Amino acid sequence: MKKLFMCFVLALGFIFVVSTAWAGGGGGPPKNMLKGVFVKVNKDRTADFKVDGTGEIKHLILSEHVDLEEIPLERKVLVSLITDEKTHEITNEVKSVSIMFMDLTPAKIIALLVVGLIGGLLSGFIGSGGAFVLTPSMMSLGAPGAVAVASNMCHKFPKAMVGAYKRWKYGQADIKLGLFMAATAIIGVQIGIQIQKYILNHWGNAGSNLYVSLMFVIVLVVVGIYVFLDAYKLAKGGKEAETTKIAKKLQSINLPPMIHFKTAGIKISAWFTIPVGVATGMLAATIAVGGFIGVPGLIYVIGASAMVASATELVIAFCMGMWGSIQWGLSGLIDIRLTLLILAASLIGVQLGALGTTYVKDYMIKIVMGSVMLIVAVSRGAKIPGYLADLGLRAPLDPSTASLLNSISFWALVAALGTAGIIISAAMIRGMLQARQGTN
Amino acid sequence: MKKQKAKGPLAIKTLIFGALSGLLYYLVFSNEDWITTTYTMGGWHTIYPVGTALVFSFVHGAFASNLLSLLGIEAKSSH
Repeated sequence: MKKLFMCFVLALGFIFVVSTAWAGGGGGPPKNMLKGVFVKVNKDRTADFKVDGTGEIKHLILSEHVDLEEIPLERKVLVSLITDEKTHEITNEVKSVSIMFMDLTPAKIIALLVVGLIGGLLSGFIGSGGAFVLTPSMMSLGAPGAVAVASNMCHKFPKAMVGAYKRWKYGQADIKLGLFMAATAIIGVQIGIQIQKYILNHWGNAGSNLYVSLMFVIVLVVVGIYVFLDAYKLAKGGKEAETTKIAKKLQSINLPPMIHFKTAGIKISAWFTIPVGVATGMLAATIAVGGFIGVPGLIYVIGASAMVASATELVIAFCMGMWGSIQWGLSGLIDIRLTLLILAASLIGVQLGALGTTYVKDYMIKIVMGSVMLIVAVSRGAKIPGYLADLGLRAPLDPSTASLLNSISFWALVAALGTAGIIISAAMIRGMLQARQGTN
Repeated sequence: MKKQKAKGPLAIKTLIFGALSGLLYYLVFSNEDWITTTYTMGGWHTIYPVGTALVFSFVHGAFASNLLSLLGIEAKSSH
């Protein structure tokens, strides 16, 4: 019965992966984007555009937002088309043009390596992270949004694979729990995408941005405060973490099929793991950081330790990252140069973070996770006034306020990464020194 | 003494994987134009970026792992 149920859930996940990959939908690029090269730009603000893949020549109209001088010929670009506000249909009028492959200068390469290293460290330590700062960083370096998301996704799964392998070797990752959660998370991703599409169709891009930011702030503040307070109590009392009352209650309910997860040391009904998996997937499809609900869900609802939860999250991240990368690859939006540059440092970072967990107490993972979540919430919260103004729900922001809020948003992300890097390194070095003193 | 003995093969492994990883990076960045064009054609070409990321994770991941061990940064053994 249990095996049959496992097979059913995994098969369901597999069917979703194959069907969305086949349809080229799911986490793919926005439908109002074209990829290809401009072959001719006319003075009457029209242009001939050769679409990548099909070779079809499209006749496009260049809106007033586009500077004719800045349109490169015979260089791969991403074109964003204007969507009709009433009919929601995509027009052939160009809203913006961005060069797909940015020129890599030494300064940009160093920036990518540094962010990659700290992002990897965070990922190896708390099971997720990095994505929330890598994508905006790549965008501020000059990569178009869709390319930044795609290239980040493609770096996520190899990094998670290496991290998951290391933490499995340390006896922390529960592969069975991870695969089970990943299969259900993919169902959650599908639900998340449908909600996004509904919002996009009814309230447009600004409505979608507002929804994403609100979800981000609500989830991160509520869960972040809970995780942080829990970690603070444990650190103060010096006690070991206990399984929560909810988890104990759920584990005691004998609702077949009951599944035994050996590494996590848990026996729980499959029906209680499914909502956590689905919620992880939904959040991943909404704010791109599913781990912020996946790890706390595994700890407080399922009853795994922070050590096992953060390690198992890497298994989930690998499965979902692989699936997402295939999706973005089908649309041809991955800039492999960016992916490989981040990987160069993040593969070192993720292993450092993974081995770092063997030197620290369980609550340290919660401290890092809680702090990062709360600082990232500030970053996203700073974006909300702008989105409210876009929707006409408040007066437009004056340029200086808008620029200040943007700076707060960006620097809060940098602060989140910096804080995490410092806490992890300090805890690791202290743990290593204590271990050495112990052996001498 | 035992530790000293293990450092030799570890250094060789680090060197081999490091050289291999360096060579792969050189190959990618010296053929930048061809790679960026081919890898972004869409459809079945998705195999290229996903496959490349996997190959790099094995080779560069092994290099990173050996390098950390060589530097004496290893997991707590009693854990």
